[in-house]
Amino acid sequence: MNPHAGVLGIHEPGDGWLFRIPVGIKYLLLLALVVPVLAFASWPVTLGALLVVLLFHRTSGIRLSRALRLGWMMWSILAVLALFHLVTLAPEAAFVRPGNLLVAILAARMLTLTTGAPELLDALVWALRPLRFLGVNPDQVALAVALMIRSIPYLLGSVDDARMAARARGLERNPALLLTPVIIGAVAYAERSGEALMARGIGERTLAD
Amino acid sequence: MIHLHDVSVVIPAHRRGEADRTLLADVSLTLDERRICVIGANGSGKSTLLRLMNGLRLPSSGRVTASGFDTVNQGRDVRNAVGFIFTDPLAQLVMSTPIEDVELSLRSRIKGRPARAARALELLEERGLGRLAHQSIHDLSGGERQLVALTSVLAVEPSIIVADEPTTLLDLRNKLALRATFAALPQQLIYSTHDLGVAADADRVLVIDDGRIVADDEPGRAIRHYEQLMGVRS
Repeated sequence: MNPHAGVLGIHEPGDGWLFRIPVGIKYLLLLALVVPVLAFASWPVTLGALLVVLLFHRTSGIRLSRALRLGWMMWSILAVLALFHLVTLAPEAAFVRPGNLLVAILAARMLTLTTGAPELLDALVWALRPLRFLGVNPDQVALAVALMIRSIPYLLGSVDDARMAARARGLERNPALLLTPVIIGAVAYAERSGEALMARGIGERTLAD
Repeated sequence: MIHLHDVSVVIPAHRRGEADRTLLADVSLTLDERRICVIGANGSGKSTLLRLMNGLRLPSSGRVTASGFDTVNQGRDVRNAVGFIFTDPLAQLVMSTPIEDVELSLRSRIKGRPARAARALELLEERGLGRLAHQSIHDLSGGERQLVALTSVLAVEPSIIVADEPTTLLDLRNKLALRATFAALPQQLIYSTHDLGVAADADRVLVIDDGRIVADDEPGRAIRHYEQLMGVRS
């Protein structure tokens, strides 16, 4: 699996119902799934939300194997979270805490797997328009959000790259050797992205004009 | 057409007592040939010279104009007129898939999303990339990425393309494919390379050394000058 495509996944066109509904409805569905699990924090709600979000993926033509392809790092985080609560003798929390996180990720994936970045950008620009009178530039904020979405898998992928580089040198247990290249890489990535946008004249004009 | 008039690029010293670092010194050029190549050793100033043409770097002194627009005062117009291709296409591709990246370029030109997506796909298909439109850019080969980067740049219809060592990361097959693509472009193309075969494709070759243009000639003579400079030829 390409580590750079993990967590939020890559949009591929499809004809399932999630692909066809407006992006605004998808945002509402995302909130409808995530807000209750966070508000109630109980295992039946978490289990129900997990089943519903998986059902949403499946009935839209997204295979469960693809829906659950979050990358080793995210699964590790979920496992550590569950293990921690089991060790601290909180079995319900061992299911609810990682379960809620999984619901949030799968709900976000439901959005990103079925919606292209340009469509997300358009929706954000539209949603942010009322903030124009506060001096907010919706186009630039939307572009920043789109770049952030693109950056998350990239940065997670760079952790994977750093881990492999450290392992190649037999130094994978040294956290400094893992973190330092990731941080330097993140700064360099931000610089390169800014330069790439500038070279294409994006950001210095409004996106939609 | 690009004009550089008495252009210097200097990085001020960080510490007292240190000398300023001159990346480019007193360069004056009028670039109007269809294919122009810049060659020189690593750190000679090739990238600095090319970045000046798109306004990615501004001159410390002197003036650069592209298609009549000043890079200092009319940066937006310059970048509409001059497309820039980086050595590493991954540094250039901002979105996750080829079609999304080309669509990003088209946002200012085509308002409706269906029309924009259709045009982006059409542009990718013109370059033989239609089947890759929805793949992650990380899953593409180096050559495919470079072609996607070129498609994104060409989407805004610049009149000049500036490419900084576009073939450096490519294998032979992709290098030949990119050369053929470049040869067919109607735009003026200004590029740098370490590959003297690629340099020989140009109408005019500039040799740069230590921030100065030391040869400006037709490819044969300019490449010979460069080889002498590098100690390859006596």
